Amino acid sequence: MDNIIVIENLTKQYGDFTAVDNISFAVRQGEIFGILGPNGAGKTTTLEMIEGLKTITSGTVALDGHDVQKERSVVKSLIGVQLQSSSFFDGLNLLEIINVFAAMYGRKVDAMHLLDLVQLSEKAKSKIKELSGGQKQRLSIATALVNDPKVLFLDEPTTGLDPQARRNLWELITDINKQGKTIVLTTHYLEEAEVLCDRIAIMDHAKVIALDTTANLIKQSGVVSSIVIKTDREVATEQFSMFPGVEQVIAEGLQYRLVTSNPQQTLPTIFSVLGRSVVDLQLRQATLEDVFLKLTGRDLRD
Amino acid sequence: MYTTWKLTIASIKMFVRNRQALFFTFFTPLLIIVIFGAIGFDRTPTISVGVAVQGSIDPSSQQFIDQLRQVQVFKLSYGSLATERKALEDGNRSVVLDLSNNPLKGLVNPNNAGTLTIYKNAGDAQADTVVSIIGQMFDKISIAQAHVPQLVNLNVQEVNAHNLKYIDFLLPGLIAMAVMQLSVFSVAFVFVDYKEKGILKRVLATPVRPYQFVAANIITRLIVAVVQALFFIAVGILLFKVHIIGSYFLILLIVILGAIMFLGLGFTVSGISKTTESVPAFANLIVFPMLFLGGTFFPVDSMPTWLQYVSKILPLTYFSTALRDVMNKGSGFGDISFDLIIMLVWSVVLVALAVYTFSFEEKRG
Repeated sequence: MDNIIVIENLTKQYGDFTAVDNISFAVRQGEIFGILGPNGAGKTTTLEMIEGLKTITSGTVALDGHDVQKERSVVKSLIGVQLQSSSFFDGLNLLEIINVFAAMYGRKVDAMHLLDLVQLSEKAKSKIKELSGGQKQRLSIATALVNDPKVLFLDEPTTGLDPQARRNLWELITDINKQGKTIVLTTHYLEEAEVLCDRIAIMDHAKVIALDTTANLIKQSGVVSSIVIKTDREVATEQFSMFPGVEQVIAEGLQYRLVTSNPQQTLPTIFSVLGRSVVDLQLRQATLEDVFLKLTGRDLRD
Repeated sequence: MYTTWKLTIASIKMFVRNRQALFFTFFTPLLIIVIFGAIGFDRTPTISVGVAVQGSIDPSSQQFIDQLRQVQVFKLSYGSLATERKALEDGNRSVVLDLSNNPLKGLVNPNNAGTLTIYKNAGDAQADTVVSIIGQMFDKISIAQAHVPQLVNLNVQEVNAHNLKYIDFLLPGLIAMAVMQLSVFSVAFVFVDYKEKGILKRVLATPVRPYQFVAANIITRLIVAVVQALFFIAVGILLFKVHIIGSYFLILLIVILGAIMFLGLGFTVSGISKTTESVPAFANLIVFPMLFLGGTFFPVDSMPTWLQYVSKILPLTYFSTALRDVMNKGSGFGDISFDLIIMLVWSVVLVALAVYTFSFEEKRG
């Protein structure tokens, strides 16, 4: 796949403070790319440098072959941007807001069609203050689509939304991606990154500390899954230790927790050895949470 | 061009739908015009004259009282000497004329010349005026009775065809004030709000040039300023029969120049204000003194000299003076060229300051 964004040695400095420290990565055409990290990791600063909203201290960003610093307005016409704050002009209704944004690109759009796409056509004549948080984010995405952009940037699109609104927005983002648009988003929700993103860059303290597909990140980090089983009879922990992949066994009465690096091999063995003695089985997949914990030694929510 | 045009239309819509902005640009100045116009500061002041009477009033006193009634500035009240003197001491009368002993018999019969006692508070200039008016009344009668020819005849002619009233003075000043308020406050509040909410940043993420966005907002304010001026002139003409003597073209030219000048100030204020809460502090610090020293409500000439120096550096002074000269005196372009030049200088200074302080991007500390 072609790279649509190429970032090389990107650095942003505010005086002595380094907000983004010499990061390099590429975003592929058509993927949903996530930048995951805690607050203050430098996600938004990175995004805003790519969007041409913040000056770059050093390094380069090329978007669809255009240098972001040298061809700022070309780049701006190729991208759609949703910022963290989804405030718009108070005095205008949604249709008017969409039309004003279209005018800023020198375009005319079918505003109603765009509102329809983000399921806001019923609110076409409403003002901003009549919208819920999720609706504001959807409007924000609609304004980011007025120029039919190649790349859509979403800065923490679901922060502050309730679970239902979050799921709706994930669906919308996936739909837009299916129409061929590359999407770059930041988030500090692991679940969001896992559900939405094809690839994820994990940022912490101004640096990218890992970048891969979700599955690979989990696999490469060596973080393992665990299998929790309940049996109807006592089983010697030594016996479990001999099962393939099992690295550790923790017994609590008739419940055993097997930590395994290879659950695909461990599972069949459990059934072939214990058969119907297994009364209950839970497979706990390692998550990005575990990966983040392992990489940084901190919980993401800290 | 298309973009700027569309942005202007949107900006006008937002302005018209903003009730608060409409209130301050139209309603507040309108209220001031109506209240000050109704008070009518130029109505001749009245002087309260107490007439102390007791029992019957003789014909000579009655004749005198009738003459006093002809003097428009006098407001007569009658009572016993005691109550009238009490009123004088309380400050409710300027003078009290004691007619209780009918002292004016001399007017009918010179042989009966008497003494009219007038009570007044010491150092009351208004009372002195009354005394001298009454003195003249008696002198006139004495001269007439003595059959002495009048040595000098007064020939009073009214030359001011326009008959300027306070409202004529106020209206141009108020238009200048309203345009100043609009230009400073509506820009400062709106842009700091846009900046605070991240709207400017969102706009910056599109290929629109900042100047296009700023231009749309400026054009909107210039249109509103012109509408404001015409609206208040219409109110003045319809409600208070104000006469506009000068050219409307020149009036609107001054209004637009004044608006540009104060828009520069408005953008400067929004440049130095970090939050919307600090906008009124900065803006009022500059605008409030100008309301009183900029020739809006009273003429600059009536101030003490040192204040006049202050007043003569303020941009509003030249704005209101130029407008007043054109509206009240019909001054032409040449007559007000000095005011226009000062306004132009102020415009350049304030716009330069705005360019220096105002930025689309948020400054990170």
